[in-house]
Amino acid sequence: MINAMFSSVSSVTLITATVCLLVVNIVRIISKKRSFLNSYLTYTLVFFICFLTAQIFSYKVGIWVLALLSFTALREYFSLINIRLQDRLGILGAYLSIPFMYYLIQIDWYGMFIISIPVYTFLAIPLLVSLGGKETQGTVFSIGAIDFGLFLCVFCIGHIGYLLSFAIWKAVFLVINVAICDVIIYYIGSRFRSKTLNCFVCWLLSLPLTIPVSWLLCYWTGIPPLHSIILGAMIPALVIIGHRSTDYVKADLGVTDDVLFPGRGQIMDNLKSFFYAAPVMFHYIRYFLT
Amino acid sequence: MMRERISSLIRIAVHVILLRPLVKLIFGVSVLGRDNFDFADKFIIISNHNSHLDILLLFSLLPLSKISITHPVAEETYFSKSKIIYFLVGFLLQPIWITRGKPEKGSDPFAGIKAQLDSGHNVIIFPEGSRGKPGEMQSFKSGIGRLVVQYPGLPIIPVYLSGPERSLPKASYLLLPLWNHIIIGPPQICTGTHKEITRQLESVLTGLSHSESARQRQRKATSESPPLSVAVLGIDGSGKSTISKHIAVRFSAESSTCLISDRLDLYENTEVKVVQPLGYEKVRKVISNYAKKAKSLKLYKIPKMTELLLRNHLYFEVRRWYNPEMIVMDGSPLLNMTAWAVLYRDRMLDEETCAKIIMLLTGREEELKPDDPIFSEFKESQYFRSLKLNNLILPDIVIFIDLYPETANTRIAKRGEDRQVHETSEKLARLREAYKMVCKVIRDRWDIPVSIIDGEESLEAVSAVAERFITEVIRRKEGKNDPTD
Repeated sequence: MINAMFSSVSSVTLITATVCLLVVNIVRIISKKRSFLNSYLTYTLVFFICFLTAQIFSYKVGIWVLALLSFTALREYFSLINIRLQDRLGILGAYLSIPFMYYLIQIDWYGMFIISIPVYTFLAIPLLVSLGGKETQGTVFSIGAIDFGLFLCVFCIGHIGYLLSFAIWKAVFLVINVAICDVIIYYIGSRFRSKTLNCFVCWLLSLPLTIPVSWLLCYWTGIPPLHSIILGAMIPALVIIGHRSTDYVKADLGVTDDVLFPGRGQIMDNLKSFFYAAPVMFHYIRYFLT
Repeated sequence: MMRERISSLIRIAVHVILLRPLVKLIFGVSVLGRDNFDFADKFIIISNHNSHLDILLLFSLLPLSKISITHPVAEETYFSKSKIIYFLVGFLLQPIWITRGKPEKGSDPFAGIKAQLDSGHNVIIFPEGSRGKPGEMQSFKSGIGRLVVQYPGLPIIPVYLSGPERSLPKASYLLLPLWNHIIIGPPQICTGTHKEITRQLESVLTGLSHSESARQRQRKATSESPPLSVAVLGIDGSGKSTISKHIAVRFSAESSTCLISDRLDLYENTEVKVVQPLGYEKVRKVISNYAKKAKSLKLYKIPKMTELLLRNHLYFEVRRWYNPEMIVMDGSPLLNMTAWAVLYRDRMLDEETCAKIIMLLTGREEELKPDDPIFSEFKESQYFRSLKLNNLILPDIVIFIDLYPETANTRIAKRGEDRQVHETSEKLARLREAYKMVCKVIRDRWDIPVSIIDGEESLEAVSAVAERFITEVIRRKEGKNDPTD
């Protein structure tokens, strides 16, 4: 009885959050404003649509929304790197590994999921690249570039999908915490001249928000309070690390913060916070709580 | 009439329900300037052409009411190879079929296009003619000007597409999902002669491709451009080592240069940069000394050949370790060897064979047919290939110092050094002819700028001419990459 009530309350919360985001997004599209927070809201909406479909049907449906997100992120990444003519087969292989990996999440085969991209796709891509043509110069860089994008955009984001299969609210927990950090980093992230100081200040300022929120959510997420608090302190640090490292990648790809279009760094910019946070949180939960 | 309306409805439905979402979902599309379509009721769309995807992207831009009354111009023979594709293209895109080649006398090549324009329909034209090199715009064919001149006042909408050349390049059948960026320029009204119109439209589309918004959408080119290699050719005694040194010093004022001559020097700000000599260079010096002191041709050839190969390898070593912006080479191993090949065959070779030898030496055998007689004629090429020595570099700029063998002989005599075995008047004369032919071949075949300078003048004068030529070529190259400046 109590269980059913909680689940209905959580569903209602999810639906309300999604509808709110939808309304905000529609207003944004009509008013044609463009800023970081606006595009950020779109991607948060995508996450909530994913959670809502998971809540209504099953996580098995919800993960395919994430798969679509991975696809758009990967497509953007490949649009930004240099591709030789003979890498095309390898890139096709990279795209095909998206359904491969998400299918493994769907059938809940953890052992295979965790090695799908790090082992099998990783081995397949050099083969595909070598089948693509005769040019040998630049092969190492090509394979490295393809694998890197695949790990970030598919494997790391895929961990959110597996988190969904544990419990939907565990994934919501991650997205909310990440969103709090992102907003704080957006407003405070470049106040000081020293990058390290910036990172540290952002982390400190996130804590008073993320720890209480994590603690409050622990009833729905099913994470014990102590672990909730640890995660609440850990996620901001991971988000900041994610930002810092992805910024260097972005700069090398020629993406600057003042010109962000979809297909020109926007998707990667909005997902960068998850690249570190999602896998680490997933493995934390898997190690301590299952 | 009724039938036409139904098929038009089906067409629009297929476009809206199937094609457009598919294009949007698989290939991301970002469009800038869509409102430029609002100001024109009847128009011609011109666009750069790199891929078969172009036409689908252009159709996804059109307002719904225009889908059925817009016609791309396409070549019939290309699409009529497969019946299904021919039908689908014909139904969905309603192209105006044209045939390539010279039109028959008396017939108007634009008849089909004009008929559609006269009945109030719109036309999509790719003025480059065919799909060009990926990411590069070719010069416009004159057809667009000849057509537009007959329709004064008809707006022409330039559309710049970037991305299709990566999603579906001409050289590949593999379709990959990658982003496409489309920039629609403001409608143009053109007046003047057909040549002026063609030029004007070309500059509009080029301008669009270099506009700020296009640049923001471009990927950053992360690949390092290879250094510019300059080869100074000439028979012995023409002063090519002095001249190549002059050139290296002169250009080091602007960029770091490297001189591969009897010794290897790096220059920066017109001064020699002190570096640790490369191992290969030491070996080369020993061998080169050995070649110089050789008493007979047989003893000369093999060390000289090794020296040339090492010299070629030095190019890669220098690129790898120092990465200068310009490499000046005293002689070019590839061209030297080709010239020697021409020289030592009993009969003079023709230009065709000469080009084939260059292909063999630079590892471009794929351009030759496998049963080409050159393979049996030059059996050495197989050893070259199996030893992976067929990687000789083709220089970007060639300077040939032309000199009478007699002058060369007196100059060699003046140097007072021991004469190398091959330096006889008759040999030098033939070598000179061989070089001339090689220069002609690379200029005609590979479009490499070659400057033939009269070597009878003083070395300073020759260097000055060579420097001017190189500056001119560099300027032209930069202009090609970046016309906005």
